[in-house]
Amino acid sequence: MLRQTLYGSLILAALGLQAGDTVKIALTGPFSGGSAPMGTSARDGSKLAIGEINAAGGIQVGAKKMKIEIIERDDEAKNERGALIAQELAAMSDLTGVIGTVNTGVCMAGDKHLQEKGITKIICPAAGSASMTQWANKPDKPGVKDNSIFRFAAHDGIQAAMVVEEAINRKFTKVAVVFDSTNYGVSGRDDMLDQIKKQGNKLEVVAQEKFNIGDKDMTAQLLRAKSAGAQAILIWGIGPELAAVSNGMAKINLKVPLIGGWTLSMSNYIDNAGKNGNGTLMPQTFIEEPITPKAKAFIDGYHKAFKVGRIPSPVAAAQGYDAVYIMAAAVKQAGSTDTKKVKEALEDLKEPVPGVIATWNRPYTKWDPADVTTHEAFRREQTVMGMVKDGRVVFGNDADRERLRKSALSATPAKAKAKKK
Amino acid sequence: MNASIIGQMAVSGALMGLVYALIAYGFQLTYATSKSINFGQGELVMVSAFFSLTLTNLGFSYWFMVPGGLLFGALLGLVVERAGVRLALEQKSEGWILLTIIIGLFFFSAAENIWGRDDRPFPTPISADPIHFLGVDVTRLELAVAVGVLGIMGLIELFKRRTLLGKAFEAVSADRDAAELMGISATRTVMLSYGLSGAVAALAGILVSPITTVGPTMASAIILKAFSVAVVAGLDSGFGVVLIGMFLGALESLSSYYLGSGWREAPGLILLILALAVRPTGVFGKAIIRKV
Repeated sequence: MLRQTLYGSLILAALGLQAGDTVKIALTGPFSGGSAPMGTSARDGSKLAIGEINAAGGIQVGAKKMKIEIIERDDEAKNERGALIAQELAAMSDLTGVIGTVNTGVCMAGDKHLQEKGITKIICPAAGSASMTQWANKPDKPGVKDNSIFRFAAHDGIQAAMVVEEAINRKFTKVAVVFDSTNYGVSGRDDMLDQIKKQGNKLEVVAQEKFNIGDKDMTAQLLRAKSAGAQAILIWGIGPELAAVSNGMAKINLKVPLIGGWTLSMSNYIDNAGKNGNGTLMPQTFIEEPITPKAKAFIDGYHKAFKVGRIPSPVAAAQGYDAVYIMAAAVKQAGSTDTKKVKEALEDLKEPVPGVIATWNRPYTKWDPADVTTHEAFRREQTVMGMVKDGRVVFGNDADRERLRKSALSATPAKAKAKKK
Repeated sequence: MNASIIGQMAVSGALMGLVYALIAYGFQLTYATSKSINFGQGELVMVSAFFSLTLTNLGFSYWFMVPGGLLFGALLGLVVERAGVRLALEQKSEGWILLTIIIGLFFFSAAENIWGRDDRPFPTPISADPIHFLGVDVTRLELAVAVGVLGIMGLIELFKRRTLLGKAFEAVSADRDAAELMGISATRTVMLSYGLSGAVAALAGILVSPITTVGPTMASAIILKAFSVAVVAGLDSGFGVVLIGMFLGALESLSSYYLGSGWREAPGLILLILALAVRPTGVFGKAIIRKV
């Protein structure tokens, strides 16, 4: 019964409610092309949350309840489309906030328009480090004083640390670093090399191999890694090429683990790699396993509402879902749909926000150009290693399942506490 | 260790090179009869692969899907001939160059709209597990490519030599005007060559997709190399494209191993320039003296 009203309201939300007494939130991302599994999952996760909020009457803004109205834009993972969309959104006078963007390049091209007008945006789920560090202090120029861009994703810094840590824990000493030639791949390689140094140089990088978007034959790169004696391949890239790497490894009989960024959980990696993808490890913030009642409700709700048996990118979907609840909590606390007031509320959320990944306790603090983590919600604690198994992503370590379950049930430590250590 | 790496790179490169050879052979078929080439051949490869994937997804077995895909490719070849080539040839113009490119672009847009822009896996009953053979790992899929390519080329060559229709094909290739005077319809023969060329493109798509996945841009890289192979080998030697195709494939993968993957295409392009400078008719091409 409740579900039915929920879907009804989803449809209503999709149709767009009458203007006026609504909270306008824009959802952006690539809904077509190679990054689409992440873009559509994030959008649909957000829509699920918005449907629930609207079904309960909307957000309490001051004296009245207001429903959320969705503005949806497909950036096709193209930087120039992203810039156009950002300009359009920045010109809307009554926009409360933006949630979305998958591609780091799109963030770099578009977010400056939103930041200029002070429009609140929660980046979800683009993970590349550069999309937040572009606002921070740099050796040659100071960062922005006031920042309306927040992020809700485990950024590459965390992910690279986990990838290196996993390789060390598995007692490997020689690894090959493989990456694609985009901004995302190259900065991922830098993050990984950086982490290898930070974690005590326990890994020897015996090969550094690059590939291009669209490459299908990775034999040369992999043979070099094989003949150098690599015990694991640490990789940064996007779905289709990652699958070509897995298939190439099977062909030349290179039976070592593939460990890399969260893109290894994209459906177009899992499907194209088939059984060659089994055992691949990647950091995840959400695993499609009903470990808590809330996770079960979320997974079932997603499957039913969007008629799928598997979420194309569970991480993106769960982050999209929680990001909406965090934005809604900020609107409620601000008592206003004004984007600048919402930004201030986001920087100081008084009440914990229960989400499907965790209960978010003051996820953001006042922007400090010397410390990007003030606008980053995720910490190492909310991230686990996932593993591909027979077409799905499962927990890499059983201990993590318990840890994530606990963190989802109890509140995350408040930001101030987390920062001390 | 080193020798086995050279062997591995050469063998897997040469097997991929056979796909270039097959597509190059498709160029030769139409060039022989009409002195024209379908510049949208890559899109035929791609659209036929998508069509075959759809047949598979509808539940048809692999052995039904293959002839179905070939037939579809042949039909597309006929469409290209009717829409892009015939009128231009009748008017003795070079309009077919632009027209075949445009038809290719049209197929590309159609594929994007019908099947979407994503790369998809192509199911096949042939296992992708490697077989260890003389220190080299080869997958059954790659062997299937070799068998399929050599098989269809052998069949078409047999057809050209042993059947009446095939002999008409050869006659038109040798001298179109003389063949017409003998009562052979050159138009029909050109249609036949485009149909065969389309079927060959479809087979290339079906053979290569399990290895590379299916997507709208799947053929854009392959087609350039196929074109190089056709030019280097000469536009009238079936035997030549197989040799040059395997050679170019092996050269590519060896150079991506020794020079780095960014240099993969370079030796092939140098080879192309050299061939055009030294032997414009192709390594295996015959210099034809046209009497005026």
